[in-house]
Amino acid sequence: MASQTQTRWPDVLDPIEVASRAFLDSHQEASLAAMSRHAFYNAPLINEVWKKAGVSPDDIKSTADFKEKVPFITKDDIRDFRDRNGDPSGGMSVRIPGQTVSIGTTSGTTGDPTPVPNWRRMPSEESYSRDFWHIGARPGDHICHIMFTFRGGHRRRASQEMGLCEIAFSMSPTEIPRLIEASKIYRPVTMSIFPGPLILAMEHYFEKTGEDPVDVFKSYKGAVFGGEPLGERLKNLTKSWGLEVFETTSLGDVAGATHCRMHDGFHAYEDLAFIEAVDPVTAEPVPDGEVGELVVTTLVDRLSPLVRYRTGDLVIIDRTPCGCGRTHAKFNLLGRATDQILVEGRSILPREIMGLVENESETRASLFQIVRTGREMDELKLRIGYNKERMTGPDKELHDRLHGKIKEAIGVPLVVELVDEQELLKLGPPHKIPRVTKS
Amino acid sequence: MTLPRPDVIGSYTVDGKMHFYGSRRTELDRAGVSMVRTLKSFNFDPGSVITNVSLTPEVVQFAPFEYAVQILGMYGTNADLSPFDAGRVESLSRQFDPVAMIGIGKETLEGLEMLGHDAKTVFRGRTVWARPDAYEAVKVLPEVDARRCVIAGPVLLLECARGKLHLDSREWIAESENDQLLLTSRQVRSEPLQRLATGVAAQVSEEACACGNHDMVIELL
Ligand SMILES: [Zn+2]
Ligand SMILES: [Zn+2]
Repeated sequence: MASQTQTRWPDVLDPIEVASRAFLDSHQEASLAAMSRHAFYNAPLINEVWKKAGVSPDDIKSTADFKEKVPFITKDDIRDFRDRNGDPSGGMSVRIPGQTVSIGTTSGTTGDPTPVPNWRRMPSEESYSRDFWHIGARPGDHICHIMFTFRGGHRRRASQEMGLCEIAFSMSPTEIPRLIEASKIYRPVTMSIFPGPLILAMEHYFEKTGEDPVDVFKSYKGAVFGGEPLGERLKNLTKSWGLEVFETTSLGDVAGATHCRMHDGFHAYEDLAFIEAVDPVTAEPVPDGEVGELVVTTLVDRLSPLVRYRTGDLVIIDRTPCGCGRTHAKFNLLGRATDQILVEGRSILPREIMGLVENESETRASLFQIVRTGREMDELKLRIGYNKERMTGPDKELHDRLHGKIKEAIGVPLVVELVDEQELLKLGPPHKIPRVTKS
Repeated sequence: MTLPRPDVIGSYTVDGKMHFYGSRRTELDRAGVSMVRTLKSFNFDPGSVITNVSLTPEVVQFAPFEYAVQILGMYGTNADLSPFDAGRVESLSRQFDPVAMIGIGKETLEGLEMLGHDAKTVFRGRTVWARPDAYEAVKVLPEVDARRCVIAGPVLLLECARGKLHLDSREWIAESENDQLLLTSRQVRSEPLQRLATGVAAQVSEEACACGNHDMVIELL
């Protein structure tokens, strides 16, 4: 690590981003022991699960001990604890007077939102600060902050603590004209979070107004794309606007994880989280480079001390140094383990279907669902929403075109059902629908 | 004098048009310290939960309220002001039993109805600061301590326990011209305002409120 000079800004916000593997490993080993102790004594669910497994914090003296002895927890464990004890946090969060400044909640697409207590600076604020810096935001710059309030309200100070000025927007297509106006007034350098529905709304706006997107976005060094995976069409569209898009995802609720300029996986900051992959059925460890379920342990969040939390995300982890100069692990995200279906032994996830659906003009919003009655299925059943106004021929023509292209790409028995996309949008929240349905 | 650079650019709306409005974080914190004077008139227990229903671009108006909640040792939770997030308002109400909810608007009430939730159950037993477009509907709900919150330019006017709407008078000079509230900033701000026409129909009262907060009282018309 070179020391910081005053003549130019360093390439990374925190020097730990380029620390050696040996440094990271020893840092993690110490943090795992400390967080294990904290979680055991403060998070009731961890305490219960560990006692049941006959494990105590004194048993965790090394990373090897941790991997060998510490029991896993799952979302179901958290919900079960919540229902048994009437504790909204499911035994996983700690309110510490003087430290807890607010209680955020998860999106709650599948039931009651889960509380996420916030302290002054959340791990996700730390990780996104590093990502913004990586994209090129520097003190004195403006950035667009597009967010719901429920993640923790108006409390956040991370951007100003880097010397950035945030321009605040709702996560809503109605904000597009203001986003464009702000882009021309303040010439911001990043935009986050910029999800698919907003990109689509923006495309519509540019088509309608004839405004030049290249001019609108000329000051941007990047946009952080979150939500669902970014398909080829939207990737090419944003590229044609001169926007470099950096995909982001949640690192199992313990931090954010974002693409770097190599665009070859999400970086998990290993000083913030310890990550592992396990077989989704047997929970046996899976080596780096192979598909497994992502398991995360926070190394810093004392208010939500998730330890060995099985995220349900199928990933491939890569711990080799990255071309961007950072040494921390990256992972590729394949989809949710519970969304996966196997047809004739072939694994299929919504992510793969998305790119195929959005390429057709009538279905460019990529609103579709996989009908999943079990993990193993005899055929792939898709319900696909089309935009009435974009239809140019009979339904059957669109049906046959989609069927042909998807069948060719996936190569398994296929049933396609077409519906008006307004029907699927009713399954909301706005413009985000469950990708898998039981019927 | 060069103006200090803002940390955050929020917005205010007058006559249906949104304007960008920048603030430094110290301005928001200062407004929060002032808002404590109104909020403490309710004597909520430390450790209580208060739900804040707002939008991200309302940061300049609602960050001070959140800070006041923190200063008094309470916990804030948040939901968006939208029909779609009304389900979260219901869930937060049921899960956390908040002593109060602020920023309830027409969108929230519409969303609750759309999602099949009963507003009576969601708000019963709580102090509810409603926006002008939801106040009358909240006021008639049984066992609800209905209060007003009114956005006037970059300021959130908050009703105290004695039923008066307070304005932070260390920060703002208030005037009423043709029955409209005008605001002029008094302190160093990133974007000083000179007689901003807020679009709020109100008069300024000289009365010292019995709640203990001697900040100016604004009477809606
Ligand atoms: Zn990289
Ligand atoms: Zn008063």
